[in-house]
Amino acid sequence: MFTEGRVEVDGIRARYLEAGQGSPLVHFGADLSTPSPAHELLARRFRVIAVETLPPGRPGSEAAATIGRIIECLGLTDVDFMATAEASTAALWFALAEPERVRALVLEAPTAIGAAPRGELERRMPEVTTPTLVLFGTADRQAAQDTGRVYTKLIPNSHLVFVYDAAHAIGRDRPEAFAEVVADFLERHEAFIISRTPTVIHP
Amino acid sequence: MKVSFFETVRYLAPEPLRPEWPVPSGAYDREAGAEAYRAMIERLQLVEELGFDWVSVSEHHYSPRILTPNPLLAAAFIAAHVKKLMIAVLGPIVPQSNPVRVAEELAMLDTFCQGRLVVGLLRGTTNEYLTYDLNPTEARGRTDEGMELILKAWTEPQPFAWQGRHFQFRTVSVWPRPLQQPYPKTYALGTSKESCEFAASHRLGCGLSYGTWESTARAGRYYREACARHGWEPGPDDVVYRANMIVADTDTEAQELFDQQSKQAPFPLRAGVRDALSTLDQRNVAGVPRAAIVNAALPTTFIGGPDTIIEQIQRCRDEIGAGVVDLSLTPPSSRDMGWLTRSLELFGTKVLPRIRGI
Repeated sequence: MFTEGRVEVDGIRARYLEAGQGSPLVHFGADLSTPSPAHELLARRFRVIAVETLPPGRPGSEAAATIGRIIECLGLTDVDFMATAEASTAALWFALAEPERVRALVLEAPTAIGAAPRGELERRMPEVTTPTLVLFGTADRQAAQDTGRVYTKLIPNSHLVFVYDAAHAIGRDRPEAFAEVVADFLERHEAFIISRTPTVIHP
Repeated sequence: MKVSFFETVRYLAPEPLRPEWPVPSGAYDREAGAEAYRAMIERLQLVEELGFDWVSVSEHHYSPRILTPNPLLAAAFIAAHVKKLMIAVLGPIVPQSNPVRVAEELAMLDTFCQGRLVVGLLRGTTNEYLTYDLNPTEARGRTDEGMELILKAWTEPQPFAWQGRHFQFRTVSVWPRPLQQPYPKTYALGTSKESCEFAASHRLGCGLSYGTWESTARAGRYYREACARHGWEPGPDDVVYRANMIVADTDTEAQELFDQQSKQAPFPLRAGVRDALSTLDQRNVAGVPRAAIVNAALPTTFIGGPDTIIEQIQRCRDEIGAGVVDLSLTPPSSRDMGWLTRSLELFGTKVLPRIRGI
């Protein structure tokens, strides 16, 4: 069951929803208009704090600083960090600025690459040390799926996932598929490529 | 002694590749790939002329080091271009395959090549589990069950259902069946107690690979003892030993060539993946636990000039019990094709004629 809260930082009053126990997973850029099945699934394993989209138009480094202060206000130090679409830009700047505070980074349908002017961020992506998971839906018509390969080429410890038959809002379209791979990655980082799925039909 | 040449397809990358597995497929060069397969056929025609008995292929993925992700396809292509060589598929990785499909395809292949097929059924090297999302803790169980199902699919004359632990089929009835009856010479590949037991209990051959003399000999002994428990005695052809060999005109030259080789795998896994896999993948040699080989170059057993190599092959026969050696004559990632050709010719002319009596 999600509870609602608000946090005020840098003149921005951001609404957030929170549920679950365990290590904190902070999600920026979430659509909080309706409950998200993906958040509910992730809240079984993580303390999920989904923060509404920050106002657009601020430089990425400024937005990253705001993210840092929001996390502080929430009483958290280091977190798993998830960002959707436009929030991915600030998320990457945050991972560059304060890598010790980001255990792992999940980028859902990110738009940090492909929209100008973002040359500086792309140039600095090889400096990202955070284990990073990049997800695109195969039915996404808003974010450029082809940019997925650029993230994984530029970010050293990163992995690309295509979620079949999901559009831009992957977590809403395929919540089980999305939450499973995100949770697995957050737990095991690069070792998530080793399958743990049992195939025993009859013992 | 029979001799098999382990064909790995020599892909010569025009640019250096990132030393990491998996190797990004975008780095693949189509012309280099086409040339690698063309040159493979030319090489195997030389192998055939030199009097080798078998050519072998095996399943490896996601890197150019051994470019046969589907060894059965490679075998079919090779079989169409050579006339006398036995075609040894050593082998498909059973736990990540559909066993019925493997049984069908091997039966087709045996028929295509007019009964020249040799089969090895393989659990697979550790990193290969990542290819098709195989849970490493299930690899052993899926291998044993898959091998049993393949043999059943080849021999059961009536349609049957399979109610397994890992596989379930409501009806199986493969066409074609193998040309060789009841099926081609088949090996369970691996030095583990489980693999040796499976081979012994099903009267299959045993394929050993890449161990030290001592550990491989231990596995060979275990296999022969298991066969005795099951009431039969394996012959020389029942034990294949796959190994790396460096042969040169003199011992000194061979040792120098060996010393120049990297002792690291050319495309290692990332550290986090390597460590996690090493924990999950339990291996043994004849029941004695051993670490999974991850990120290390495979050992080279045979090193020397022709006389020394012949002594080592005699030792292989005496200590391991192998009647077939399956050889890599230069490291699969070597770019020196002249070295490979020279090694083939040297082995074929100075060694091969002198080991037939071993």
